[in-house]
Amino acid sequence: MNFDIEQMVTSKQAFRRRLANLPIAEKLHLLDAMRERAVAIRSANQRQRIQAHEQPPDYGKKS
Amino acid sequence: MKIEEVIRTVNQMKAHGVIANYAIGGAVGATFYLEPVSTLDVDIFIDVHAMAGSSIISLDPIFSYLRERGCKMEGEHVVVSGWPVQFLPPTGPLIEEALARAVEVDVQGIPARVFTAEHLGAIALQTGRAKDKARLLQFIEARALDRSRFEEIISRYGLADQWQKFQQQFLGS
Repeated sequence: MNFDIEQMVTSKQAFRRRLANLPIAEKLHLLDAMRERAVAIRSANQRQRIQAHEQPPDYGKKS
Repeated sequence: MKIEEVIRTVNQMKAHGVIANYAIGGAVGATFYLEPVSTLDVDIFIDVHAMAGSSIISLDPIFSYLRERGCKMEGEHVVVSGWPVQFLPPTGPLIEEALARAVEVDVQGIPARVFTAEHLGAIALQTGRAKDKARLLQFIEARALDRSRFEEIISRYGLADQWQKFQQQFLGS
């Protein structure tokens, strides 16, 4: 693995250019796939949030 | 879940006279010029006429057309082929012009009307949220804008100050 930051930036830019130059139908399919993933992550997060906010146990009243 | 189906449905709406004209904007519109960026909905700008004898614009014909075809409403969106779609009438002269000058792009045999890159950039500058600024920066970095056409739109719609600030903040000029 190479940690040359300049090379990383250059290859990242090249990757973005490659994505931008894909045929539009392919880019729209990527959007479809990204949304499916985002929806799955969102619903998983919501499930977790429900667990995080579950009713606290009742320890009984102070006497 | 397919955006192509959304485009096909909107074309049918136009063919059936439900909408006069349309153009895709937002992140999906930007994807026609840039690398795809994850988004949760599709923004469709539409040319709608006020009801006869009234100045009120109603989106009811759109919603009933889509409901009859099995689409569900989700808040301000209509879910078409799994995608929440927002139908937006123009909110100002810049968007009116963007809608009138939108270009037709072929998506595997399906015609799609999309805002020009320059109009998408100008709208992003005008809207001015963080994600809009990021999008404008993407357009600039990707050299996807015709700079003179973009700056001509900017000056016509009184966005020169915002453009100057943006350049100082993000482009170091």
